[in-house]
Amino acid sequence: MTRTEHMKPAVLPSPLSSLIKDEALRSQPSHLPSLHSLAIQIQHNLQYQHEWSDLQIHTRSSFTNELLPRPLLSGLPPQRLYIHPDEQIELLKDADRARKARGEEEGGTLDVKAAPEREWILPARLSEKWTLRRLAEVFDAIAVVPPQPESEDMEEDRAANPWRTTKRVILATADTDSTVVYYIVQDGMVKPRQN
Amino acid sequence: MADSTPATSTPTMEPDVASEATIPKPFPISHIAGRYLLFDVNVISYARRTHNITGVLIGTIPNLSQQNVFLGIPLELQPEEARVLVEQGHAFIVDDAEVHRKGMMAMSREQRLKLLREMDREGMELAKAESRKAEERSTKALKEKGLTRKEKKSDESNSSAAVEGSETSLFDSKGETPTAVSVSEKKLEPVPITPTTSYPPLTTPSANAASQLPDVPKSYPLFRYLHSKGYFTMPGLRFGCHYSVYPGDTLRFHSHYLATGLDFDEEFELQDVIGGGRLANRVKKAYLIGGEVTSENDKEAEGDEIAPVRTFSIEWAAM
Repeated sequence: MTRTEHMKPAVLPSPLSSLIKDEALRSQPSHLPSLHSLAIQIQHNLQYQHEWSDLQIHTRSSFTNELLPRPLLSGLPPQRLYIHPDEQIELLKDADRARKARGEEEGGTLDVKAAPEREWILPARLSEKWTLRRLAEVFDAIAVVPPQPESEDMEEDRAANPWRTTKRVILATADTDSTVVYYIVQDGMVKPRQN
Repeated sequence: MADSTPATSTPTMEPDVASEATIPKPFPISHIAGRYLLFDVNVISYARRTHNITGVLIGTIPNLSQQNVFLGIPLELQPEEARVLVEQGHAFIVDDAEVHRKGMMAMSREQRLKLLREMDREGMELAKAESRKAEERSTKALKEKGLTRKEKKSDESNSSAAVEGSETSLFDSKGETPTAVSVSEKKLEPVPITPTTSYPPLTTPSANAASQLPDVPKSYPLFRYLHSKGYFTMPGLRFGCHYSVYPGDTLRFHSHYLATGLDFDEEFELQDVIGGGRLANRVKKAYLIGGEVTSENDKEAEGDEIAPVRTFSIEWAAM
């Protein structure tokens, strides 16, 4: 049974799968198409499910200009994703001072100001196996803070956060049912947040 | 947490110099049936205070072995803990069974006799104490009934007379009676003693016995790294990892990390990382994976120098 030209296909491809198909076709052959489409899938998820902005795909290390172990993403989350516990204490103290300056009572609200920061995202599939070496290679190839996209003005560049001293990536793990889970992986021993 | 520590707690933290002076350095770790054990309270507290080694107390009452909250000595060390102590020269391993057997076999005749005499003496003292106690008990019981104990001399003569009388009436053998009297006078027999320790006569073995290094699991490099950073570690089974890692003494701090040690090229499932991260996040900790950095070409040429350890902390991103 052949389908004629004017008939609609029985099942329309999802916007995501048509996006992956398109993008994978016109991407430069730096990495395996499966890794590229994975990056695009994660990018799509971050953009439309988690409202991230300024998402970029990186294929080369900013240090050596060599190929990264796989395409990485960088982007800006809608609010701060990670606050180091020491920074949190500092922010709370600042907020407390600000509240006192406004002359509010103890019951007044503390508004903690933590501007969102650009994050690295490492796309991965649940079916993959990883080793410490591969993880270390990813960390060795990236800077602490992802580069700003060219479109953004340099003057808009906020002062670097003095608390951001260790490299961190968001490990985005996609399952076959397109569930994506996000975990923060930091280089070295970083004490846990007081959540 | 550390900055809120009250200043008053410092005096109690000061080492007890008197007890520390008696600790042999390096101190022996007993290796018994595959376990590394410490039996001396002073050594246990010294190891904890000075070398960040906590171990696990496993001593319990034999008849109440279900009691598992307040355990006592001995302290069982993880093989990693024993290894770190031995590698740093703070301790050495003693094969207790072997040392005991050799020491007992190698004893000279004089030493053995001395030991036996000593045991007899102890047994005799014990027996005397027993009989004294029994006497006191009977005196007390008699007093309660309003009776007084007869004079010991008369009592003895009476009883011996009674014995004599009964003996003669029963057996009619005169030869036996004097012996019976003398026995009743000196009936104290030394209580047989089974010594609970073998020192004395055995002395604490010295460190020169080329002590072997404890066998350790492959997570050992991570343990050594954590220990070198001043962290305290406890077994991590209850959190499904190798070690739960504390930033200070385990009695004063909550643990910060649930650590799993891996080889640098050992493949792991992301599912395990996610599971570990999720569990650690749930209990306000971070999941830590780490291992010794081995370069691909000189795997066997590691030599004496310690390879660096690379670690990664994992937390839930909450999104």
